[in-house]
Amino acid sequence: MPWNRVWEHLFLVLAGSGFTIIFGLALGITAYLCPKISKAILWSVDVLQTIPSLATLGILMVLFGGGKTTVIVGMVLYSLLPIVRNTHTALNGVSPAVKEAAIGMGMSRLYRLVFVEFPVAFPIIFTGIRISAVTSISVAVFGTFVGGGGLGDTLYRGIYIQNMKLILFGTAALMVMAILMDSLLNVVEKRLFKHSMK
Amino acid sequence: MIEYRNVTKSYGGKQVVKNLNLTIADGEFVVLIGPSGCGKTTTLKMLNRLIEMDSGEILINGKNVAEYNPEKLRRNIGYVIQQIGLFPNMTVEENICVVPKLLKWDKERMHKRVLELLELVGMTYEESGKKYPNEMSGGQQQRIGVLRALAAEPPIILMDEPFGALDPITRDSLQDEVKQLQKRLGITTIFVTHDMNEAIKMADRIVFMSGGEILQADTPEEMLRAPANDTVREFMGKHVAKTRMDDPALHCGDVMKKKVLTAESSKKTLECLELMSAREVDSLVVVDSARKYLGIVTIEALRERGEAGRPITELLDTSAPTVQVDEPAQQAFGKLLASKALNYVIVLDEQQRVVGIITRTSMSKALASVVWGVKK
Repeated sequence: MPWNRVWEHLFLVLAGSGFTIIFGLALGITAYLCPKISKAILWSVDVLQTIPSLATLGILMVLFGGGKTTVIVGMVLYSLLPIVRNTHTALNGVSPAVKEAAIGMGMSRLYRLVFVEFPVAFPIIFTGIRISAVTSISVAVFGTFVGGGGLGDTLYRGIYIQNMKLILFGTAALMVMAILMDSLLNVVEKRLFKHSMK
Repeated sequence: MIEYRNVTKSYGGKQVVKNLNLTIADGEFVVLIGPSGCGKTTTLKMLNRLIEMDSGEILINGKNVAEYNPEKLRRNIGYVIQQIGLFPNMTVEENICVVPKLLKWDKERMHKRVLELLELVGMTYEESGKKYPNEMSGGQQQRIGVLRALAAEPPIILMDEPFGALDPITRDSLQDEVKQLQKRLGITTIFVTHDMNEAIKMADRIVFMSGGEILQADTPEEMLRAPANDTVREFMGKHVAKTRMDDPALHCGDVMKKKVLTAESSKKTLECLELMSAREVDSLVVVDSARKYLGIVTIEALRERGEAGRPITELLDTSAPTVQVDEPAQQAFGKLLASKALNYVIVLDEQQRVVGIITRTSMSKALASVVWGVKK
């Protein structure tokens, strides 16, 4: 069985999710801090999501050529939405009383964001991260078409040579990966937000 | 000393504060009061620059607030708001230490300060220090809100209707605590409210505002004795004037006894007899587990129809007179005089929970306070 494909897939997912989190948070926070451009940011992210992932990869391949970079960039573009949207919504949803108290105590804009608004909003932001990470597992499957490797290769090959075992192996590996990822993040979430979950 | 000099603020062409002049001495407790939209909150928030004034100046010890960096200014002015606004991601200790941390106190000093402050309001660090705000009641939260404002020993504290969202009993005790603290620590306090009772209880000086102007600024006593004009008189009348027995402003809640001997409906006959003889009373108020009023049980009923081991709910007498806590006290006195069987009236809140009783003794006390002018 092609175990190396499993590791490859995991690498794609982790790299993709890592970049998604960084860019997603940056965009979400920018949208919150600059209401003037928030619409533009949210709209762009929405549009990215409506392009079929296969098409996104195709276009990216023209720009970056085949390979893992293309897959990772595609995954980032495709799974930004939940993180950006949740970050923006959650930060806007922090109670006005808490925001007013923070200003009234004499906190600077950055201090407020880092020590009050972001931590208070984090449970919802984290949900976005969780959704995005789990989706990215299935998005990475399309990587096979642009030479990115991963379990997409296994599935594709299984279909091509009509090998049921291979197809089932690929499918099961993807499912287990998704379930493990979700449970792991679930545990992290419970640990992080012990007091706010009560 | 705080001085407002010709301070003006408009929103969209409407002047909410008009050419305001006010001087507040060090250590003074000033209450800003008036109908909603009178500009009292705006006046308050211009001091710590949460709202910037259009013209005029506000001086703290001779220095214009506009010259300060707003963040540094705010760290030296305590601030308490109605919605409490504790930081839900921080423990009680961390909440209290927000401003000290901004001022870069060392850890030891901060911890010492937390212990000291909690002790001021009768809380212990072991019990509360590590709690999160959502694990506490509204009253406890606002206590911490006040401590958070006091933490860095600011010379000035601003309070914007701090007790408006609390239940009457909690509000009452917090008012006492804050007044005591303020006196002890000598902090200059500006307090916004629309509740005249609160103003009279707390203030060294009441500043009555209407339409963005100060109509009167006087001690509570002077304010009651000689309201400057009809607007003030009307507002005072609605809120105080507890000077006559039949005054509708004297509520049941003001005259009731808060200690009531209640029994939960799950209690059995013998338990109740035991309770009655221990406290030397001849009836018990029966409530459910949520303290909702169900009825009363009398010694007669117990003697005539009671059987050992049977629940007391079988003996309930539901005909006892009751009043609502916000009804005029006169109502209760009427019912009390009319009732032959029972020598008290049960006071309920909106949720029909038992909050107190009014006896003949409470009636005579209320009467005495009117005749002799004794404060309750």
